[in-house]
Amino acid sequence: MGQQVILTGAAIREGVVSGDIVIEPFDDSATNPNSYSYRLGNTLLHIGNGPAFTVDRSGYVLLPGNLYLGHTKEILGSHKYAMTLLGRSSTGRLGLFVNVTADLGHVGSLGQWTLELRCVQPLRIYPGCRIGQIAFWATSGPLVQYDGRYALDLGPIENRDDSLEHSGRVGAQMPSTKEQR
Amino acid sequence: MILTGAAISEAVAVGDIVIQPFTSAYVGPNSYDFRLGDRCLTYNERTLDSALSNAAQCQIVPPSGLVLEPGRLYLFNTEETMGSTKYVPIIRGRSSVARLGVFINITADLIDIGSINQWTLQLHAVNPTRVYPGMLIGQVTFWRTQGTVELYSGKYRDRTSPVPSLLYLDFASERSADGKG
Repeated sequence: MGQQVILTGAAIREGVVSGDIVIEPFDDSATNPNSYSYRLGNTLLHIGNGPAFTVDRSGYVLLPGNLYLGHTKEILGSHKYAMTLLGRSSTGRLGLFVNVTADLGHVGSLGQWTLELRCVQPLRIYPGCRIGQIAFWATSGPLVQYDGRYALDLGPIENRDDSLEHSGRVGAQMPSTKEQR
Repeated sequence: MILTGAAISEAVAVGDIVIQPFTSAYVGPNSYDFRLGDRCLTYNERTLDSALSNAAQCQIVPPSGLVLEPGRLYLFNTEETMGSTKYVPIIRGRSSVARLGVFINITADLIDIGSINQWTLQLHAVNPTRVYPGMLIGQVTFWRTQGTVELYSGKYRDRTSPVPSLLYLDFASERSADGKG
């Protein structure tokens, strides 16, 4: 039985075939030795600066000091494996963060994942670029499927933490966050 | 499943893990502490473009060190050549370095199985911070896998200096693949 082992590329491929892993659309050439490289979707949300907008082929320059929510182009998830959502070293070498210390995806999460984009230096990004990678982990213990407030998301999703709103600390348009993962 | 320090030492002894040079004093309870190399690469332009080859310069950092300035990205090599053909390495900073506000990677902590070389670290600092070549800067953990192993054969293999992002090669290959120029 699995004990928090990481799946190899071959095991990820098998998981996609058997349905234990969802990567839609799936492109086998994006399978790495122990992860899968996902693409950036075309919708961005600049937190604290208006509604979500679509980025065209000419790209968009992210500026330091800002938080942008993007999303994966692919629908990603698994009812069997836990997931970690990471950048690629190619994007890390450009100073681009794709999450803010919350890299863990729940078993049962399925959707376009919200990315928390933040850059060290100004950086032009493009929709469709393979911007990050997702790794899958076998678990130990009985499985409970995620059915939380970010289930089945499409596009970038702002913070939905009711507990903060009830405490009066966060309004609907406040800088906020993301998928519970 | 994460390897203990004893398991890391055993794997180094039998060749399943490469850490060169290897110093047993740097083996922790479940990781190995590695050193900062002496080569530092910075991009010439402040604004970067994911689709382009961003010009960069490499400097040798003297024993007196280099002050990392916030808002700028510094790519360093590790002093050690590291990797594994059996386990998946995951790197992270040491807590001692993190307490100074120094990031050593940018959301890409996962190393491909079979990537054995000096790794490129993505340093950036919250406050101006002086770093020194040879200092113990980060730690590497090793994880067991599930599935058939296929070794890394990608664009960053066999490197002994920090390598800038080669993400633009993805754009070039996708343009030629889809025939749109």
